[in-house]
Amino acid sequence: MMLSTREYMNRLGFTEQELASRRAYFQLADEDLSRLAALRPFAERHNDAVVDAFYQELILKHADSRLFFTDQASLQRAVAAQKRYFLELFSGACDLDYLENRLKVGATHQRIGVAPKWYLGAYAHYLRLISTRLLAEKGHSAETQGQLQSIQKIIFFDMAIAIETYIAAGMDALARHQAAIRELSTPVIQVAEKVLLLPLIGTIDTARAMQVMESVLMRVVDRQARVLILDIAGVPVVDTRVANHLLQTTEAVRLLGAATILTGISPQVAQTMVQLGVDLSAMHTRANLEEGLELALDLTGRVIRPKEK
Amino acid sequence: MPVRVLSTQEMKLDSEDDVVLIRRAVRALADRRGFDSFASAALTTAVTELGRNVWVHARRGKAIIEELEDALKPGLRVEFRDEGPGIPDIDWAMAGGNSTASSLGLGLSGTKRLVDEFHLQSEVGRGTTVRITKWKRF
Repeated sequence: MMLSTREYMNRLGFTEQELASRRAYFQLADEDLSRLAALRPFAERHNDAVVDAFYQELILKHADSRLFFTDQASLQRAVAAQKRYFLELFSGACDLDYLENRLKVGATHQRIGVAPKWYLGAYAHYLRLISTRLLAEKGHSAETQGQLQSIQKIIFFDMAIAIETYIAAGMDALARHQAAIRELSTPVIQVAEKVLLLPLIGTIDTARAMQVMESVLMRVVDRQARVLILDIAGVPVVDTRVANHLLQTTEAVRLLGAATILTGISPQVAQTMVQLGVDLSAMHTRANLEEGLELALDLTGRVIRPKEK
Repeated sequence: MPVRVLSTQEMKLDSEDDVVLIRRAVRALADRRGFDSFASAALTTAVTELGRNVWVHARRGKAIIEELEDALKPGLRVEFRDEGPGIPDIDWAMAGGNSTASSLGLGLSGTKRLVDEFHLQSEVGRGTTVRITKWKRF
């Protein structure tokens, strides 16, 4: 699920207090903001030319970045958005709304897959184009020097926000993938009447163990199961915590009136568990799934036999 | 013959996933150095136990993984360091069957049985360091 920008603001801790501390860290003083606001007419005069130039000189010259613009309309939209975006640098405001707008830009770039290098490269290019024009128009003086510094400060301030949003959005994508993997890897399968099979695959972390336990218990009740086979052939390491989860599942399943059979224990895992001192005598154990299934059928009063000729 | 250290690498541990990454690094080294599958399973399980301890009790720490060689016998040493609450009663913690974190309470004593050398140092309020070594069998 995508987070709203407000939620991102909270997640990244973008509060009034954080804003103040950031501004102090980037030395972005009120004086800088008023300089920027005073430069607004200058920016308005040059913005179109600068943004058009950097699209021509930078974005469209690189095959990778050109890929983002498959048609003329999307290019025009991007250029227009960019012009609005850069003009905001000269708004003279740096409040929470400003922060939120910057965050939106970062999130959008991340979502459409613009790598940070393009984002930062574009900024560097913009900064160069605009300072060249400022120096050409106003000449080298203490005043222009101060103005250039203020522009640089707001740009670095902005870039930091965008990069943090990139990272946070990337982490979110990762968390979504992990959640998806967890869901995929806990299928409870009914293999015979009253017999359920749970093949455990991969690392069983705390979150997954909880999820596994819950889905198993629900299915045991739903299917009125008498036997649950837990196959751990796909679990790389069985440590005391995993063993504890297995035992807790067994105990909970027992309370629901079903037995647990543990299968898929490799010789290495068996020896390790003995050395660890883990006592699994509460569960039936069989070396492989085939034997586990035989036992499960036996416990539910059935056998597999050859077809009569 | 003194023990030679062939390589040292440090890995951070500040999430449950880091425990898996550390374990994978140790398993890869064990395989590369020709440990048999039983020794490899014992070592990686021990690393998982100790790594989880750091995560559960201290929330963050690090692992220092070293490849050793002693008279041409390969070995692996893993040291976990944290600045967590420390263990107030080491003898009690090592006795087995005791638990502070809703597990089986076999972690430390069991881990000791899985490896060849086990060294634990802990100071309340300062943190815990556990060092384990496993040698390749011939």
